[in-house]
Amino acid sequence: MNWRKLRTFLLTVLVLCLIPATRYYQIDEPLMRLLKSPRAVDPLSLHLAGEFVESNLGTEQGSDGSVTVRMIAQQYLFVPHCILVPAGVPVHLRITSADAVHSLNFIGTKYNVKVVPGTISEAQLQFPEAGDFKTACTEFCGAGHYAMRSKLKVVPRDQFPVLGAQERGTCAAR
Amino acid sequence: MRRDKRQGFSRWRAAWIAATLVAAGSLLVVASDNRPERVPSYVSWTPETIAAASAGDAFRGMLLAKHCEHCHGAEGFSAVGATPNLAGVNRLAIWKELEDFRSHKRRSPVMEPIAGSLSSRDVADVVAYYAKVPVFEDLQDNRSFPQPRPDQKRSAMASLLVSFGDGERGIPPCQSCHGPVAYKIGVPSLANQNADYVLRQLEAFANGSRSNDINMPMRTISILLSEEERHALAGYYGSGLGLDTGSSR
Repeated sequence: MNWRKLRTFLLTVLVLCLIPATRYYQIDEPLMRLLKSPRAVDPLSLHLAGEFVESNLGTEQGSDGSVTVRMIAQQYLFVPHCILVPAGVPVHLRITSADAVHSLNFIGTKYNVKVVPGTISEAQLQFPEAGDFKTACTEFCGAGHYAMRSKLKVVPRDQFPVLGAQERGTCAAR
Repeated sequence: MRRDKRQGFSRWRAAWIAATLVAAGSLLVVASDNRPERVPSYVSWTPETIAAASAGDAFRGMLLAKHCEHCHGAEGFSAVGATPNLAGVNRLAIWKELEDFRSHKRRSPVMEPIAGSLSSRDVADVVAYYAKVPVFEDLQDNRSFPQPRPDQKRSAMASLLVSFGDGERGIPPCQSCHGPVAYKIGVPSLANQNADYVLRQLEAFANGSRSNDINMPMRTISILLSEEERHALAGYYGSGLGLDTGSSR
């Protein structure tokens, strides 16, 4: 066996090993981590009771000043359609899906959150500066996928409204 | 002796009243601590729900549907534009609306008592019948469908929204849920719907007087639409421009 043939063979083996490894670390492992998590929710009855009833969606301000955002991704909308968060404060995002796999991408920022039905995806976000951002679904979810967009409004910390324990902040039109 | 008994009794009664008051008070405190949860509809599309909603007997439904004819038309097409056409509408969609009328999650002074008088078997039978009613044209029927086409500008505006939506504002295309491209579960086909009814529902969703959409898709979208776009979309569907593959029935 000459050197050229050996080199081709070794390269082929290397590439064949790399493809499943890439797939595993980029797709399967994050998905399995989500699916194995005990924080399971029933995607069909989100609206009936529990954390993701419609009156609980939006930005919640804890008594200690922590900020939590709860959202639902569904074909082909993010609800609430515009999220309101203060700038420079760590934001805890909790999002779940009502039907298919979605992915919430905050365009122009480093954040992208995969949303799998039956699980709650959590992420710690922080937006240093005030401004208007757009979000988009980056996981093909069906016929209206490309129009599945929403908005994120980051306001300066002193302009963020003081929310009561029962209130949920949102900038979606009402 | 008697007097003592009575005194004892009244003491017990006083104790009971006090205990009840304390219990009621604590309940009130607990109730005010809990968030009032807004539930849009008690329907949840589990496999059991779908099986129960699809198990209707269309022949029995045809007999029951004699009650609906006065408003919804003998052939499932109503004479008044504000009343929805039911012919060929996806059975799960009508089933959900009837269930919401029964549980008062969708308000209508006319439909709430009518739906309340139906049993769950009646509802399944009626929707099985209407899903099978043919939708072809009948000139002898006094239906108001189809209505005249909207003008060129509005037609173009509506067909853009129906087939592409508006990604800039985050409005998904109507056809990705209402057909013919795809039918989301429990979503009605709009291909044979009256313009006036579609417009009224869009406005009701926008002003919150109708709020029975699960996870609020229509309340979100209808607010994003402008007044002219609502009229354009209603005219588009009401003039028969919408298409239907019938695959959702």
